Amino acid sequence: MKAIRINNLRKEYKDVVAVNDLSLNIEEGEIFSLLGVNGAGKTTTIKMLSGLTKATSGDAYIYDHSINNDIEKVKELIDISMQETAIARKLTVEENIEFYAKLSEQTKEEIEETKKYIYDSFKLDKVRNKIASKLSGGWQRKVSIALALVTKPKILFLDEPTLGLDVIARRELWHTIKELKQKMTIILTTHYMEEAEALSDRIGIMKDGKLLFVGTKDELFSKTKKSNIEDSFIEIVAGGDLNEKIIM
Amino acid sequence: MKKSLCRILTLTKRNILEIIRDPLSLIFTLALPLVMEILFYFIFHNLTEQFEMKYLAPGIVVFSQAFLTLFTGMLISLDRNTSFLTRLYVSKTKSYEFIFGYALSVLPITIAQSILFFLVGGIFDLSIFSPSLIFAILLSVVTSSFFIGMGILFGSLCNEKSIGGISSIVIVGQSVLSGMWFPLEGLNEGMITFMKILPFKNATTIIQNMVLGINNSFNDFILPLLIVLAYTVVAFIVAITVFKYKMKEK
Repeated sequence: MKAIRINNLRKEYKDVVAVNDLSLNIEEGEIFSLLGVNGAGKTTTIKMLSGLTKATSGDAYIYDHSINNDIEKVKELIDISMQETAIARKLTVEENIEFYAKLSEQTKEEIEETKKYIYDSFKLDKVRNKIASKLSGGWQRKVSIALALVTKPKILFLDEPTLGLDVIARRELWHTIKELKQKMTIILTTHYMEEAEALSDRIGIMKDGKLLFVGTKDELFSKTKKSNIEDSFIEIVAGGDLNEKIIM
Repeated sequence: MKKSLCRILTLTKRNILEIIRDPLSLIFTLALPLVMEILFYFIFHNLTEQFEMKYLAPGIVVFSQAFLTLFTGMLISLDRNTSFLTRLYVSKTKSYEFIFGYALSVLPITIAQSILFFLVGGIFDLSIFSPSLIFAILLSVVTSSFFIGMGILFGSLCNEKSIGGISSIVIVGQSVLSGMWFPLEGLNEGMITFMKILPFKNATTIIQNMVLGINNSFNDFILPLLIVLAYTVVAFIVAITVFKYKMKEK
């Protein structure tokens, strides 16, 4: 079953085309990584899919609900963790979870269930009573991503989830994201090639708003004749006659 | 409607916690004006009528509300710049619910300010404790709404670095143009008219006159009230428009 169908999605800012007629399908339960250099259009794509910005043209369907015409329904199915940490600074971790749960109209019983689910999934139990702003950067990031699960989304957008984390915190988060795969579809953007390699079922490579490649790691290696994602990425984004082609 | 109200109350509770857990906000909105009230009373109350408690306490109430612009603005600009608000935009929360959430969260501070400064004022001048005092406290909610509206507007426009500078315009405006720290005699007619057009002096006049029991005069009470209400409505309309625009821009 297709969780996301994107048809010729386009976003223009004045004379800049941020996303150029993007078409793509993402299957339910997939972890799909969008790779690209800065300004490739990854974050803009996620913003359009989550209703944070309107598409200039084209449409996308989240479980058959149009982002142009049925965004309220779309919002019930998705959540997002932004590049920057997005937590209520002076609230404890537990208060943050309760805050998001109440905003998503959960009952008291549901809120208790949600707290248990979040504590178990992210091992946040030991920091539940700590004020968010007093936590280390790694913990804040973890809490920020955990909060995106409070609404129990069917699709989770993770924009640069491990940006700025040390290697241990990053590996821990990878483990958590892999565990989430059983429960939801995940679309993540990242600059870290090894992250895409470790987590993704499929990879999309964008440049200047265009999707240059979509496929599995093996398909990518086979097309580029390289043996790792980083070299393959460079080949596609910067090299040779593969430029400007969409390899499906 | 019920769901919308629940979301507003959830946002309000969160904002109240953010404000009261910031010691700086309590220092500027409560402690500093309280020290000024006591200090100015002791130093100047024998020198000029201006610093008698029945004038000073209402003046301090409105002066302390000017800091609400700073703290409302700071809260919103930080929420915007840390992506906290962007995350919430993905939820079902509407822009007017955000605005109500911010505005309502500051009202308990407003009421705390009024009660505290009138209570302390009443210790020095018992005449403050009159039936009109209840109405003065209620009216302080109206005057504070102007400052809160300005805070929402500035918070929607500025980042956390510039919000202090921009908000200080309102704080300085309330200090200088309210006429509470110096007598208006001696100022030229143009300056007095200018002060009467702006909301600062009018806000102070409303509360002072309510405490003094002057509440049925058009020029001394109703007109200033209408002027402050007009500024408040405009501040909120512009704030909501800018907030919505910024929400779409995201």
